[in-house]
Amino acid sequence: MTERIPTDTALTTLRRHRSLWGDAWRRLIANRAARLGLAIVAVFTLSSTLAHFLWHYDPKTDLDYSLKLKPPNLYPTSDVPTIHPFGTDKLGRDILRRVVHGGWNSMRVGVVSVGISLTVGGLLGLIAGFYESMPLGRVGLATLFGITGLLLGAFPAWLADQPLQAAAFCVSGIAAALSSGVEGVREVPRVSPLRVLLFSLVGLLIGGVSGFSAGPYVGIACGIAGLLIGGVLGLPLSGPFVSNIIMRVMDVILAFPAYLLAIAILAFLGPGLDKAMIAIGFVGIPIYTRLVRATVLSLNQEVYVLAARAIGAGHVRIIFRHILPNVLSPVIVQATMGLANAIIWAGALGFLGLGAIPPEPEWGAMLGDSYRFLASGAWWAVLFPGLAIMLSVLGFNLLGDGLRDALDPRLTR
Amino acid sequence: MGRYLLRRLISLIPTVLGVTIVVFLLIRLIPGDPAVAMLGEHAARENVERIREQLGLNRPLFLDREALREGNVKGFFDSQYIRYLGRLLRGDLGSSIHRRIPIAEELKQRFPATVELALLSMALAIIAGLPVGVLSAARHNSALDHFSMVASLIGVSMPIFWLGLMEIMLFAVFLGWFPVGGRIDHTATVRTITGLILLDSLITGNLIAFTDALKHLVMPALALATIPMAIIARMTRASMLDALQADYIRTAHAKGLRERVVLYRHALKNALLPIVTIIGIQLGNLLAGAVITETIFSWPGIGKWGMYDAIVGRDYPVVQSVTLLIALAIVFINLIVDISYAFLDPRIHYE
Repeated sequence: MTERIPTDTALTTLRRHRSLWGDAWRRLIANRAARLGLAIVAVFTLSSTLAHFLWHYDPKTDLDYSLKLKPPNLYPTSDVPTIHPFGTDKLGRDILRRVVHGGWNSMRVGVVSVGISLTVGGLLGLIAGFYESMPLGRVGLATLFGITGLLLGAFPAWLADQPLQAAAFCVSGIAAALSSGVEGVREVPRVSPLRVLLFSLVGLLIGGVSGFSAGPYVGIACGIAGLLIGGVLGLPLSGPFVSNIIMRVMDVILAFPAYLLAIAILAFLGPGLDKAMIAIGFVGIPIYTRLVRATVLSLNQEVYVLAARAIGAGHVRIIFRHILPNVLSPVIVQATMGLANAIIWAGALGFLGLGAIPPEPEWGAMLGDSYRFLASGAWWAVLFPGLAIMLSVLGFNLLGDGLRDALDPRLTR
Repeated sequence: MGRYLLRRLISLIPTVLGVTIVVFLLIRLIPGDPAVAMLGEHAARENVERIREQLGLNRPLFLDREALREGNVKGFFDSQYIRYLGRLLRGDLGSSIHRRIPIAEELKQRFPATVELALLSMALAIIAGLPVGVLSAARHNSALDHFSMVASLIGVSMPIFWLGLMEIMLFAVFLGWFPVGGRIDHTATVRTITGLILLDSLITGNLIAFTDALKHLVMPALALATIPMAIIARMTRASMLDALQADYIRTAHAKGLRERVVLYRHALKNALLPIVTIIGIQLGNLLAGAVITETIFSWPGIGKWGMYDAIVGRDYPVVQSVTLLIALAIVFINLIVDISYAFLDPRIHYE
């Protein structure tokens, strides 16, 4: 549509449709650094993908001891008949080829681990943030209390070796939920001492009676546990409780030194690039949870959210139709930086010997293999894989920076 | 302030407790038996069982329900975890399964090594990064600004293991200026007062050891400092840009104050809050991420020994102690950062 200059003020002006994302894209492209980042990322993605599918490489057969640790050469000589622009490594393999093919592995690790962190962390963050100021519906309350009862009840069930106890606590939880009639979220939820007492007694009965059938002491222990569990179920738990639990769990994960967590997870899962994806993805979950929750908390007070609640829209609809699209901007920025981070992590874990199983080409593993030869002068085996890591990470960081500026909501549209 | 401190210390307990439980569980979930790792795969069963009994590995993990069924209340609580907690509260960190040395001794030597490196790197990062950030903000969009932001972005993108190796390649192998690894030449002896060799050698007046330790410290500290330096520079710039918008800055300029006074005494002080937060986070990262640096530079700290070797060798007590130590250190750093807020911004008041 072309712009029409109104000659009559009664005419409405027609403009080309400018979408939110189109604007952001335009801002991104205008940024020189972001353009460079985009170019680097494009080169990286294209070369990895094309190399993986078109330039075949079988790491298991690539081996030539006669070419061990040769420096880079651009033309064939008498003792090095083939061209190796990046030199060869300790097993005589061409480093250029391994660097290009390593990109495919690094890219996969980056994408999958960020995907895991994003999905799990994002979902948890959405739930935590949304229910911070929202009462749970009957279904939500029943699920919450039921799961709480089940999980807490697992303890006396284990003590007495009677799985039915857990089921019984689950049912009593659901009963507590359905009988509570929690209406809105008050500033301080009213604790009804009668309810707490009632459910504590129910818990005591469940625990004590079934426990006693296994033994007197077991009965006492289960009875005490049941008393406490019942008391918890009698409390007016609601949305903020869910939010709190989720954030506490994230706090515990964050309190761990990240490397230790990743190494322990990998030691548990075993070697392999896909296990490394899971480990890195898991370590990254709290970041996205916190980010999404913070954003959702600020979005909760937006007019359209309040309006949707007022007309009685279902929770799922509100979350996915109204809140999620507005959470995307900071998440996209974080995901891009997170991808850069994941590539570094994959390299670090590969350097330590965890992650990619040799002889798979992976940049960090290539560094880890070759760094002991540094003292004897084989600089090429260390320089090029690391340079690859640095350039790809730089590309993603530049892109992420540019995205952050482009998607900045404070800029006038 | 005192009551706030108390509350913080109390709220620290469940988190730290949670960390101990998770690390306890996690390390034991990894397939592999430390007794078998010690004696070898073809060891006789009775010997393996005996070692397991000695190490207390045949007790149940958290609670013994069989004991409860028999009416043995004391035995109910006699589990690996409760024993561990009991010893911990008495100050006994146990002994390494592999080398039978008490962990507390080992930590007394290794932890200061990691701390020394982390503190020095952090100091370097702050000394270099803060002024760069301030100047970049002051000369917004100038050549210096663009250059330093690009440089810091490159710094953030560099994998530290590669940076360390490049440094070794350049300075140790090609130029021969610095030693390749280790903390100090083995012929030098320093009396241990704080555990930090730089300080100890200065205090005792042992200049040879001081210069030697410094030579060993330069490369790892430079490598470790790069990323925090870049992040601090960016954060300082961003925060200063915000602070420089304020009206009182305009007043200060109008009063005719020198630029340095305006920048540092007025703007920076108010911009410091997020910067200090970042510094705290980076310091925690330095402590926790020591594994890689210590591997490359053969630095005798808690990183490689406590995190990599111990996990791979299923040395439970070492992993538990090191994790607990690092988690406590991080929580402690966070507490200091939070308390510093009250000093930086008089409007913040803790009850």
